[in-house]
Amino acid sequence: MDTTSRREFLKLAGAGAAVAAIGARPAAAQGKSLTVLHESSFIPPFDEYFKTTLAEAYEKETGVRVVYEVTAVGSAPTRISTITETGTGADIAANGLLQVIQFGDKYLDVTDLCGEIGQKNGGWYDAGREAVVVDGQWKAVPFCNIGQLMNWRTDWFAEVGVEKFPETWEELYEIGKKLKAKDHPFGFELGHGFGDNHGWLYPLLWSYGGHEVEADGKTVVIDSNETARAIDFARKFFRDTMFEDVLGWTDVSNNKAWMAEQISCTNNAESILWFAKKNFPDIAKVTDQAQNPAGPKGRFHLMDAISHSIFSFSPVKEEAVAFMSWLMDPKQLGGWYAVAESYYQPTLHAYDNAPMWQVEPRNIPYRDAMATAHLPGWPAPASRQMAESVAKYVVVDMFAKACAGTSTKEVIKNAEAQLKEIYKSA
Amino acid sequence: MTIRSEPFAAVAALPRRSVSIGAWLDRQGVFSWLMMAVPLLFLAGFVGYPFVYGILLSLQDRPVAKAGHFIGLDNFIKDFHDPIFWRVAVNTFVYTGAATLLKMVGGLGLALAMNQDFRMKNLVRALLLLPFIVPTVLSTVAWLWMLDPAFSVVNRLLIGLGLPRPGPSWLGNPALAMFSIIMINTWRGLPFYGITLLAGLQTVPPELYEAATIDGAGGWQRFRYVTLPLLKPIILIVTLFSVIFTFADFQLVYVLTHGGPQNATQLFATYAFDIAMGAGQLGLGASVALTMLPALALLIVALTLYLRRT
Repeated sequence: MDTTSRREFLKLAGAGAAVAAIGARPAAAQGKSLTVLHESSFIPPFDEYFKTTLAEAYEKETGVRVVYEVTAVGSAPTRISTITETGTGADIAANGLLQVIQFGDKYLDVTDLCGEIGQKNGGWYDAGREAVVVDGQWKAVPFCNIGQLMNWRTDWFAEVGVEKFPETWEELYEIGKKLKAKDHPFGFELGHGFGDNHGWLYPLLWSYGGHEVEADGKTVVIDSNETARAIDFARKFFRDTMFEDVLGWTDVSNNKAWMAEQISCTNNAESILWFAKKNFPDIAKVTDQAQNPAGPKGRFHLMDAISHSIFSFSPVKEEAVAFMSWLMDPKQLGGWYAVAESYYQPTLHAYDNAPMWQVEPRNIPYRDAMATAHLPGWPAPASRQMAESVAKYVVVDMFAKACAGTSTKEVIKNAEAQLKEIYKSA
Repeated sequence: MTIRSEPFAAVAALPRRSVSIGAWLDRQGVFSWLMMAVPLLFLAGFVGYPFVYGILLSLQDRPVAKAGHFIGLDNFIKDFHDPIFWRVAVNTFVYTGAATLLKMVGGLGLALAMNQDFRMKNLVRALLLLPFIVPTVLSTVAWLWMLDPAFSVVNRLLIGLGLPRPGPSWLGNPALAMFSIIMINTWRGLPFYGITLLAGLQTVPPELYEAATIDGAGGWQRFRYVTLPLLKPIILIVTLFSVIFTFADFQLVYVLTHGGPQNATQLFATYAFDIAMGAGQLGLGASVALTMLPALALLIVALTLYLRRT
């Protein structure tokens, strides 16, 4: 359990703020160091900027050495797990989507710090708050979202008379049919990856009005007419616009298919355009991005947040709070965001019109998508049951089985049985 | 374990002081236990402890980073109510059964072929081990490309032979995905079978073949009545190892399909990992992993008894 009381926290935060405000090297901080754990970034300058610019500047200002420990992509959950189980390791960790829920008990309550940061920076996006609040406490400082949006080939869409990305799933379906006939199928992941499957299937479910659970986080409501309509749509969308292989795709597959000019539309993070610009400039020229299409109940996106947490057992908690307060200042944070262009979409409104969005205007939809982004268990708050459902691919496989030929009724029945078993412990 | 006692008896007979550490160490009971202490400690620390800890975990509701509490067999009951769990069980048995059978038959054929005399025999034998030596993750990534519809060398070949484009979806079709992982596992495990059986073949005394030939046995009869009975113990031991490795396979599936499509290739090990590390439910994950135990234990006991009997 997190043993830091609110009073203690205020003391820590106060001391931290004082350190940051004074800017001088307090004697106590001399020779201290703290470690920040991050998964290796897809954008190399991002890690470099922290190590060379931010860490050095902070040490100069305060005397506290900041070690930036990079861990391989996908290994953060295991690393954080080891740190929390053994009580030693890094002092601050960058979380992916599920870690805040899983490790919340071992994280410092940073509600007040986040309140302050929000106030100074135009307020937080709701999705940012949704991603880090566990049982009413902010267990991490939201950093960004890595949005999953639509990536489409402008030249092939133009061949069937489409110049602007369609507004609804049904319109997209009609275009996809024509493009498949021209040997330019769509490719949306329906296999067991980590992100590109959830990235479009949860928003599709929500846009037809379906959900896993009620807002109470207990009542399973997947068996609904709305879910059935979303599944029926997915089945025809798969059958008439895609090819069988997408059922077995993992996260790299759609990127490979894009660069091989095999597909005309997919759902992915900004990285697809970023990679094309660096390695396949001709493909990059005809790549554009758009928000997810809307369904009868609106337009939705998946929140794939990254946030920073401070371990409650860290021997340098005070320094860690001070550092987070310093890092989240626009002077530092703005520069860090900027080096990654807009791959990391800020969760603070102060950056809505930041210059980083003008570097590549095709990325602007990622900013706009944040207003309609949610966690997989939405409208329920984040919970370990939600994490279990994601890890077991309940929603992904519900759609995938239907696409592979199982009846709508049966796939919903199976998903409901699984979800009821999972949410029994809620 | 039996220990030959003669040397110790001889040493004990030498004249010496009656109470000394040397004499105490020389006592058969003490010495044999001392010799066994290191491996026993090793086993207790690195096999026994994780194993017992795994059992304890499986009896707890133990989310990662939180304290666990004892819930008896609830995790196992939850597993048995989980439709995916049964799918995983069937997958694991099909995968292990098919791959082991293929490896056994193929390995035997490979060993028989390698036992012939031909030029550069040793080089070929060494090269055959390659699939087994290359790290699984690397070779699996190579297979990932080979089975990719856009870049697949397999599909290009099939299309060249007249199959319609784009060819079979090796990893997208549930049945083909299972077929693919069985074939890749067989490809990887075949050399292990082949080389071990080859070693066994080389211990068969040539006189037996000569005697059988004089008695009028043909090639098949020599194989059936001389080679096979003599190889049987080795075949059983290799099978035992192979079943254990295949049953608990993780890397291949994790890299190639991650259990997809729709859990068609999900095995016990990958499913347990997803639940324990993905969902952070250490207790439930441990319970899935432990359900492998009875089947494997039964097999090991049965094979060991059979070997003793023969």
